[in-house]
Amino acid sequence: MFDCITLSLKESLKKLILQELRITHVTPEELSDDELLFSDRLGLDSIDAVEVVYLVEKHFGISIKDMQEGRPALQSINTLAAFIEARSL
Amino acid sequence: MSVTDFQHRQSSHCESGVSANLLSHYGIHITEAMAFGIGAGLFFAYMPFIKVNKLPLTTYRCEVGGILKRVTQTLGCRLHRQEFKDPLKAMTALDALLGQKIPVGCRTGAFWLPYFPPAFRFHFNMHNLVVCGKEGDEYLISDPVFPNVVRCSAEALMKSRFAQGPLAPNGVMYHITYVPAEVDLEAGIKKGLKTVCRRMLNTPLPFAGIRGIGFLANRLEKWPTRLGNPTAILHVGQLIRMQEEIGTGGAGFRFMFAAFLQEAAPLLGAPDLLELSRQMTETGDLWRKLAVVGARICKGRASEADTYATMAGLLRECARREALIYRKLMESL
Repeated sequence: MFDCITLSLKESLKKLILQELRITHVTPEELSDDELLFSDRLGLDSIDAVEVVYLVEKHFGISIKDMQEGRPALQSINTLAAFIEARSL
Repeated sequence: MSVTDFQHRQSSHCESGVSANLLSHYGIHITEAMAFGIGAGLFFAYMPFIKVNKLPLTTYRCEVGGILKRVTQTLGCRLHRQEFKDPLKAMTALDALLGQKIPVGCRTGAFWLPYFPPAFRFHFNMHNLVVCGKEGDEYLISDPVFPNVVRCSAEALMKSRFAQGPLAPNGVMYHITYVPAEVDLEAGIKKGLKTVCRRMLNTPLPFAGIRGIGFLANRLEKWPTRLGNPTAILHVGQLIRMQEEIGTGGAGFRFMFAAFLQEAAPLLGAPDLLELSRQMTETGDLWRKLAVVGARICKGRASEADTYATMAGLLRECARREALIYRKLMESL
């Protein structure tokens, strides 16, 4: 379980995604904020995106129901964090 | 040459987005959800006898082209559709329409469109877009799933229009030729609702509609024993990909239909539709849950609770809830 309150949002997202999607070859420190999430390096694809959407809803209470908003939000840690922050206001 | 006043709007799904954008270009300003609803886009069928990428086809929407056909017909518009055998003739015909400042819808194979990020590319021959201009050797494309107009070389567009494989697009292109001065939105909404309910509840085929969801549940439960685990995983992956398109929409079509019901409620003076919209959103959440369990199975991250039996149970619950919604909708019309 993640302590999303004490960690910064971006740190939380990195740890959450890497741990829950069982990505072991990249550490949170190595994952830059603007790195593409769905790239060869992380090895994530459209099926993993399903779980990222679910994780965001479960841990941050932010629902992504519309692909129009979901696609740009899932580009990188930066875009995902910005999306969550905008929705949390 | 370009259709300079064509307004690109990003959407969740290509055909409903293209329909809404093309109609809006001609003064019928409707949302994507409204186009989807009037076009009776919501459906379900699991067709193991039709293969896409060598795996069974599952569809969460109506037939390809059905949304556009029904929404234009229902609103009294005329659509001219062409299919080609010769790629060069298909591109010449496209250029001729663009020369007349007419935006042209095209069916394409998404895999060959160079502006799609590689991670999200898969062989999908039913992708709709609007070609709204040409500059030099590049076409300006209003691809509804992208935030802005994108560019595509003539060579790539031609390859995409003539992609091979199941449901090959065969250069299909279409444009609107007539729009009435006034449209009866209310009648269109009612017609769309009735078509969806009738198809989901009364289709006699065991693999379609509500019965089809149950049919898939029964099949899916047996996949590991019948097919072996590696093949079962491929089948689940296909199911999830077809549901999620590129992974961000949950059961996007259920959410879109819920948005349609919400929009339709005041237009029809039927507040009951708001409650049904809420229930449809809840059903969409269940479909999403199904996708999450499936994704975990595919990726070897499944917990004890993430099983084929769990997925089958979720499918049956989706079927039960949706059947209730369609019955209530039929009563309210």
